[in-house]
Amino acid sequence: MTSQRILTTYTWAFLAFMFAPLLLMVVSSFNDASPPTVTDWKGLTGKWYAFFWMPQDALRADEVLRSLDRDRFIGCFGNSLVVAAFVVPLSLLLGLAGAVLLTRWRSRANGMLWWVLLSPMLAPGIVLGLSALVFWSRLGVNAGLFTIIMAQTTFVAGYPMLVLMARLQRQPVELEEAALDLGATPFRVFRRLTLPYLAPALISAGVIAFMASMENYNTTMFAKGGACTFATEIGAMARNPNGHPPVINAVGTIIIALTVIAATLHTWLSRREAIK
Amino acid sequence: MGAVRNLSGQKIVMHGKDVCLQGVSITYPNGFTAVKPTDLTIGAGEFFSILGPSGCGKTTILRAVSGFVEPSAGRVLIGGEDQRGIGPNGRPTALIFQNLALFPLMPVWENVAFALEARGIPRKERRARAHDLLELVALPDQADKMPGELSGGQRQRVAIARALAVEPAVLLLDEPLSALDLKLRQHMRAELRAIQQKTGVTFIYITHDQGEALTMSDRVAVMNDGVVEQVGTADEIYSDPRSAFVASFVGEVNAFYGRVVALDDRMASIDTPHGLLRGRHTGALTQGDQAILFVRPQQVEFGEDSGANRFSVMLERRSLEGAFLTFETRTDNGARIIIHQTNSGPSPVTTDSSLQVSFAPDAAVVLPDGPVANTGIETAAQ
Repeated sequence: MTSQRILTTYTWAFLAFMFAPLLLMVVSSFNDASPPTVTDWKGLTGKWYAFFWMPQDALRADEVLRSLDRDRFIGCFGNSLVVAAFVVPLSLLLGLAGAVLLTRWRSRANGMLWWVLLSPMLAPGIVLGLSALVFWSRLGVNAGLFTIIMAQTTFVAGYPMLVLMARLQRQPVELEEAALDLGATPFRVFRRLTLPYLAPALISAGVIAFMASMENYNTTMFAKGGACTFATEIGAMARNPNGHPPVINAVGTIIIALTVIAATLHTWLSRREAIK
Repeated sequence: MGAVRNLSGQKIVMHGKDVCLQGVSITYPNGFTAVKPTDLTIGAGEFFSILGPSGCGKTTILRAVSGFVEPSAGRVLIGGEDQRGIGPNGRPTALIFQNLALFPLMPVWENVAFALEARGIPRKERRARAHDLLELVALPDQADKMPGELSGGQRQRVAIARALAVEPAVLLLDEPLSALDLKLRQHMRAELRAIQQKTGVTFIYITHDQGEALTMSDRVAVMNDGVVEQVGTADEIYSDPRSAFVASFVGEVNAFYGRVVALDDRMASIDTPHGLLRGRHTGALTQGDQAILFVRPQQVEFGEDSGANRFSVMLERRSLEGAFLTFETRTDNGARIIIHQTNSGPSPVTTDSSLQVSFAPDAAVVLPDGPVANTGIETAAQ
């Protein structure tokens, strides 16, 4: 009985520890106070959200918002999309190659190869960012979006690899052997069997890679040179000496909402798939 | 050569080829020798089974013929041509996997026509050929279903049709019936045999089920521990086993261990804890050898009429198997002897009675001592 109670208390405490900060952030994003607070309620407002589309004069009228550079923020967000547009396909390609290699090419080197391919995920992001910076500057490439893409791809590729490996391991090897036996070339086997089988996993791996690219801060920070991304710009705004503008909380709330919607959609779709 | 004409009038022509293994041995990279040096010749158009317990190397032989495994030594010839260096997609063979390996994301007809697609045959023609092949395996109306929507027996037929689409000279089957229930399995045996005879393709059939091997095959090879112990017709394998393993693996058997004390051209006498027993021998024995005498349960009779080999036994159990009766008896010194008799009406013997049983020396075979199959039959005590 008591052990049951301890477990229940622990569970609730753990959930509070995880979600209370998020809840505070969401609540404060609707409070008309800067820096953000929930204890000092100044009234409900949507202006921290409206920041992104409100007209120029309304922006200048607000004493908090007028100090923010909206165009720069939107530009940095655009940079992130450009980076992701390269990082996602690149890491899917690399991850797919790694996954096929590790699940289909059986050799003694497999164990070592696994660690080599995954080590960028475990390496400190600072190291990856710095090494990309040093490597590419030696080749005469200036730090910028290109170095961000290269640095991010090194570790983001690990996520698709893990997702695709898990899927590939569930496909019986006999299917590919049967196709080979029926006269198909390895390329046809890949195109007609392996790729269709991997399609759902490729989509989820792509989403994961996109998120990893968008939210990455530390690696990007070192590789970015003069460029900025969504994550580094939020980091810069958060270091405001007058406390960070509540606009960041609004952005955070939108991200949470998108995540919840995506997760719900995924659960609903896979449940429908299971019923079929 | 065989030709199949179906309803649409098209002819499916296939030619069986012979398969020859010359000194083939296969050792895996981890050092395990799955197949010890083996010579085997399988005739064109033959239904050939390789029978053995799991792990005996039979599947490895199949994979060597299909090209998934390259022999460590020796050669595989198909239709007289050395297959070294030719991959599975270049050999005139098709393999039916134990789990069938149907492509789950393609409808049945695309599964069947996959080999034709790989050859670049246009879609319309592929579809027509798939239809013909599905008709051959008596599954004409399922072309557009997905494999997951079919029953076990139907999936089986799709796998056969898909393999026949390459017009193979040799069809390799790796225990394809093991997932089916008994009744369907028996039905598919007849079906497989019929398809083999219709097409004339050489079938190499792997199984651990002696019933399958004996009923379907022209010839059977019995394998144990990487070695082909005996090759012969079902009759030869059953009635004239050449090793202790073959005698004990194929069919039920009573076994008596002893030492050879007398030997002539045909017959051997061995000294056992039950006294002197006599049986035929196959020439591989010398005086003083350890040997095992095997006799089939249906060769043992009640009474002393059968001749030299006699036992006093207690009847422990009598069970009705339908067409025949099984009697479990035990000798004075604890050895069990199983007897089968045709069920021709109520039997006079009752349990817990003392009886005389005997079997004729001609019905028994004496073979050199060696590993016996673990078939769950208790062999008579040493």
